[in-house]
Amino acid sequence: SMAEEGEKKPVLEMVQADGADDGCVTFVMHNEDHTLGNSLRYMIMKNPDVEFCGYTITHPSESKINFRIQTRGGIPAVEPLQNGLNELHEVCQHVLNTFQARVNEFKEAQEKPME
Amino acid sequence: MAAPMSNVEEIRSRVILGEFGVKNVHTTDFPGNYPGFDDTWDMKRFQKNFRIDVVHLDENSMEFDMVGIDAAIANAFRRILLAEVPTMAIEKVFIYNNTSIVQDEVLAHRLGLIPIKADPRLFEFKNTEEEASEIDTIKLQLKIKCSRNPRASKDSSDPQELYLNHMVYSKDIEWVPIGNQADVFADSCIRPVHDDILIAQLRPGQELDIIMHCVKGIGKKVAKVVNSRLDTCSREVLRHSDLKNCVKLGRVRDHFIFTVESTGILPPDVLVTEAIQVLMAKCQSFLSEMNSVDME
Amino acid sequence: MEVLGGEFGDMTPQELAAPVNTVAVKGLVKQHIDSFNYFINVEIKKIMKANEKITSDADPMWYLKYLNIYVGMPDVEESFNVTRPVSPHECRLRDMTYSAPITVDIEYTRGSQRIIRNALPIGRMPIMLRSSNCVLTGKTPMEFSKLNECPLDPGGYFIVKGQEKVILIQEQLSKNRIIVDQDRKGTVGASVTSSTHEKKSRTNLIVKQGRYYLRHNTLSEDAPIAIIFKGMGVESDQEIVQMIGTEEHVMASFAPSLEECQKAQIFTQTQALRFLGNKVRRQRMWGGPKKTKMEEARELLASLILTHVPVKEFNFRAKCFYLAVMVRRVILAQGDNKVDDRDYYGNKRLELAGQLLSLLFEDLFKKFNAELKKIADQIIPKQRAAQFDVVKHMRQDQITNGMVNAISTGNWSLKRFKMDRQGVTQVLSRLSFISALGMMTRISSQFEKTRKVSGPRSLQPSQWGMLCPSDTPEGEACGLVKNLALMTHITTDMEDGPIIKLAFNLGVEDINLLCGEELSYPSVFLVFLNGNILGVIRDHRKLVCTFRLMRRAGFINEFVSISTNMTDRCVYISSDGGRLCRPYIIVKKGQPMVNNKHMDDLSQGYRTFEDFLHEGLVEYLDVNEENDCQIALYEHMISKYAKHDTNGQKQPSWVMLVTACFIPSEKRRTWRSSPSRCWECVRASFPTPTTTSHPGTRTSALWASRPWVRSLCWACVVGFVSDTVCFILWCSGERVENKQVLVNKSMPTVTQTPLEGSAQPGQPQYKDVPISYKGSTDSYIEKVMISSNAEDAFLIKILLRQTRRPEIGDKFSSRHGQKGVCGLIVPQEDMPFCDTGICPDIIMNPHGYPSRMTVGKLIELLAGKAGVLDGRFHYGTAFGGSKVKDVCEDLIRYGYNYQGKDYVTSGITGEPLEAYIYFGPVYYQKLKHMVLDKMHARARGPRAVLTRQPTEGRSRDGGLRLGEMERDCLIGYGASMLLLERLMISSDAFEVDVCGQCGLLGYSGWCHYCKSSCHVSSLRIPYACKLLFQELQSMNIIPRLKLSRYNE
Repeated sequence: SMAEEGEKKPVLEMVQADGADDGCVTFVMHNEDHTLGNSLRYMIMKNPDVEFCGYTITHPSESKINFRIQTRGGIPAVEPLQNGLNELHEVCQHVLNTFQARVNEFKEAQEKPME
Repeated sequence: MAAPMSNVEEIRSRVILGEFGVKNVHTTDFPGNYPGFDDTWDMKRFQKNFRIDVVHLDENSMEFDMVGIDAAIANAFRRILLAEVPTMAIEKVFIYNNTSIVQDEVLAHRLGLIPIKADPRLFEFKNTEEEASEIDTIKLQLKIKCSRNPRASKDSSDPQELYLNHMVYSKDIEWVPIGNQADVFADSCIRPVHDDILIAQLRPGQELDIIMHCVKGIGKKVAKVVNSRLDTCSREVLRHSDLKNCVKLGRVRDHFIFTVESTGILPPDVLVTEAIQVLMAKCQSFLSEMNSVDME
Repeated sequence: MEVLGGEFGDMTPQELAAPVNTVAVKGLVKQHIDSFNYFINVEIKKIMKANEKITSDADPMWYLKYLNIYVGMPDVEESFNVTRPVSPHECRLRDMTYSAPITVDIEYTRGSQRIIRNALPIGRMPIMLRSSNCVLTGKTPMEFSKLNECPLDPGGYFIVKGQEKVILIQEQLSKNRIIVDQDRKGTVGASVTSSTHEKKSRTNLIVKQGRYYLRHNTLSEDAPIAIIFKGMGVESDQEIVQMIGTEEHVMASFAPSLEECQKAQIFTQTQALRFLGNKVRRQRMWGGPKKTKMEEARELLASLILTHVPVKEFNFRAKCFYLAVMVRRVILAQGDNKVDDRDYYGNKRLELAGQLLSLLFEDLFKKFNAELKKIADQIIPKQRAAQFDVVKHMRQDQITNGMVNAISTGNWSLKRFKMDRQGVTQVLSRLSFISALGMMTRISSQFEKTRKVSGPRSLQPSQWGMLCPSDTPEGEACGLVKNLALMTHITTDMEDGPIIKLAFNLGVEDINLLCGEELSYPSVFLVFLNGNILGVIRDHRKLVCTFRLMRRAGFINEFVSISTNMTDRCVYISSDGGRLCRPYIIVKKGQPMVNNKHMDDLSQGYRTFEDFLHEGLVEYLDVNEENDCQIALYEHMISKYAKHDTNGQKQPSWVMLVTACFIPSEKRRTWRSSPSRCWECVRASFPTPTTTSHPGTRTSALWASRPWVRSLCWACVVGFVSDTVCFILWCSGERVENKQVLVNKSMPTVTQTPLEGSAQPGQPQYKDVPISYKGSTDSYIEKVMISSNAEDAFLIKILLRQTRRPEIGDKFSSRHGQKGVCGLIVPQEDMPFCDTGICPDIIMNPHGYPSRMTVGKLIELLAGKAGVLDGRFHYGTAFGGSKVKDVCEDLIRYGYNYQGKDYVTSGITGEPLEAYIYFGPVYYQKLKHMVLDKMHARARGPRAVLTRQPTEGRSRDGGLRLGEMERDCLIGYGASMLLLERLMISSDAFEVDVCGQCGLLGYSGWCHYCKSSCHVSSLRIPYACKLLFQELQSMNIIPRLKLSRYNE
């Protein structure tokens, strides 16, 4: 559903304090909750360039999260976010591949003794 | 960190079940936390360590172990399984006649809880403004009337024998194909997953005449997920003071047991696949969003 | 407390509870029904007998005599003189009164004829449901359903104008008993409230400077007691002293009183009566022959002082003895300070519906007769063509309306008895089955609620087993409103003739035959029957024993009680109504008479509880007799006191009331409050009768009575620390969220039908007076009923229905008085889950435990969890049930933690929670307080006409008041502009024109006082302020406003 709504209003917003550099950004992700927030936070925390990464759900009646990234050494915060999303995507891909491989193996193994 | 090496290893990889509480609950292996460890994300290392073992798999449930992945991501899969896997469900109930004692809204609620066997992947999300069409809606009908059984013996007091159609089950729901649905879904007959869900009880003269529209939606309780390796979680040993000091209960931090129970609409392995894909879709959508923002 | 965990014989708690279901539920309202039956079948005839003849002063030949009186079966008048039986439910639906005609057979004279008329209606009597005259008696459950009545409904209430009304049990001090009391200064006195059908009076015996005086309403000053004795014909001082007592200190104490009499120079009865005659308060006399003062005094002694002691032909013997006993009591009490306890339940009587109605009926019947007499007096002297026929003047409405109004308003005001009670009846609470049952057992006390006295409010030891120790409301009525225990029965009046006969046969010597000396013999005991002296007995033990044997054998009524008072050397026999009593198992030779066989028979229905009584296995004891007996709580305790005549108690939980029995492990709860709290709450009180989630089930035909599920799957999590009270997960109903399937039914807009009869001939004027539906959310119409009420007025009732999901702000409660408001509803995936993947429905803050000490809830959780795993129910009343230890062993067997604390994973992060969580099923209920009914906000809206300020209250869409304290806060903070806005601009700002010269209010720029417009300026003041000025002016006070520019 979020794909459709994304056309109407932005799914992702960037909020920055006045005078803050690009390394300290709060991303507002609409229609997201702990599902993406927590897993993405983990991935980004794994990045050594990131000094701080965290998120909050603003209010139980709002469906958005504020995702904060602060980086070391003036790296723009967008980079770790992008990397994190990519890595998460890759992880999922790997999990998916492994899962499907194992399920197929299991199914074959199940069929064999039956024959 | 002055802690000895073995201790650090334990903090990093084990959750300790103490007598009065759980210790080391959080993931701490982030870069910079432990000298001498390189905790930077390494795809290769992840791929090497990651493992899935399927323990059990049938039509309705499966159990598998997922090892070598952080709780954050494993939990994301669980949350998606619970809340975000799309399914087909009765969304609109048009009650033309309801003379049973079940109130209309209660009846509608009951109908809404019946899982419908239809592959949601073959349907689209319904656009609220548009009319129901063959690509996003399934039409079902429930038309039943209770009557006396003419062959019942006179002195019987058993409703089973006295009345006909006095119990309305989910099997009484019929599929009314719209457009070309009859051809498209000819072989995958659309109907409720279970035949024996009691919807209402009727008495002679009472009848139900209902049309239902099913659409694709999210938010289904399909799965339950377990995260553990040790089976003795009653911590019985800790009650015996002599054993207390000898035993240390721990759990492997990155080992998860998933038990997925499907409502029967989709097989559980498909559900898990779907769930993973949903998370991937989320990443993808933000990536593309960022790209489009960059381009502007 | 663990002792109570024992069991009775080898019976399980469930088996013991069996009779509770069969007997108790009926028994709870039995007293109401019994007393009402007694009233309409027996008492009403007595009342008629007492007032059977009406004569007229105008014609000595004329009379009206009642021969008989009946209460019929409930019916309704279809048309003139056509009636048909009516069912209770029809009355409820049609807003009618469920009542039956009262008919009389009379004999009267018309002219010189003597006429007998039968079955003349004189009024209608509201009929108690399930009483002997109710259509429901003796019906099978099937027939009940046909009458649209719930077979489980206990009855015992009235239906008046469509409302179900319960006449609450009223608690009173015993009538006709001597109560020795101490006043605030410590002086001892005795008082007797006498009450008979004819009169009520109160007689006091007081001590002043060592002398004894009688105080009575009709005496203008206190009369020396010796003079009273002499007035009653006991002229010799020796005789007086003999009656009172010949012990040294008694005589010494009474001597000054005799001396006083001597000083007053009163030696004979005539002298005494003359003396008293001068002190009689003058009463208004209605005609009749004028009496001399002496006659008046004699009359006073005979009928007004100690009314209840019968005096036949001025034979004062019995009354003298009674008075002597009073004096003796006071003398004895002075030394040892052993005054009677007013709060003792042996000194209390409970008035039930029957008694209260009989008082009311008696009053109305007397009024009715007085009216007839008045009419006869008026009409007979006037010679008319038609002869005076009293039947034509018998109006039914007086009695009918009197009864109906009293029950529907709850105001019992009987001028004759100076009785004016409010709130005697209440609307039956139908929130749940037990709340209705609880109402039937409620006892209200006559004490003022506002007084801060601890005595009547505190738990009395004598109410053990009779009244529930824990069910009483909090607040001002605490301890004054009580509830009957499960097995308690309240007696009704019964014939005392056979008892008197029996007593005399057993060796009681008639008081009238004694000289008075016998009273002082140590072995001689006085025998009282219902407060009157019957005589004396030498061998009181034999009397009491035989009496009890006779009772057990069924020769006398099972509710007659007999008890000995060793200190006063008295035997009290009581057969009067309103005594509290309860059944006990008789123990003979250390063995209870009831054995397992009997219990089996009972549970299988071969025997009934009545059979137990008839067979002499069980007997009823009242509070006074209880004191004479040794009572064992449990079978194993009997051996300790193995004696011939002991009584075992039936089941411990019968000590309490229904409601309290539904608090699991109540005892653990009661621990908390007993020590620390002040007078207000000497006992714990959280009966919390269940409230179902749909409060509106009333008008519907059959209301379902919910079964009490002893363990239902809800979860409770402890270990979570947060500010909100509880979180609720909404899970299974999520799918219909916000998309209610609105069926093609619409909201009602009912317009009243125009009154066709009253419309003027010609062009009828109609005005629309629609009754519209008000409510923040939609409702469904469940039912529409069109009918007419008893007055044939058109009646439409609409039953609305709403389906309500739990939402934030709804109130929930477990059965331990642990209430709370839902603070957050969390999606399932965010909820923590245990190893089996179960997530809780409700998370409760553990801080609720330490201060409230609801240990029962902790146990319920443990037992519930084990029960769910085992697939069986656990038992958990205050008196037994599963032991925590066993339950915990069960948990271990199923691989759970011993303490019920589980390893729980956060649904948000997937990481485990640091604390183990106390996790398991607890029964929770939704209470009737829901946000949907309470939420309220307003920006603009209606204003009151007079002050132009916003209206008050949610129902009128009122504003939210910024009160005095809030105002103080703003003043203290200095937010003056906010104050101005809140108090004037947003409220009742008003433009006025004020004349600067005279300071009065003008109008449209013109000062009417100065006849000029030059000094008029316009300013804004609150309308209420302008109103104040004008009101002041209207009472000749001129408020003048002095104006000046704010910048000058």
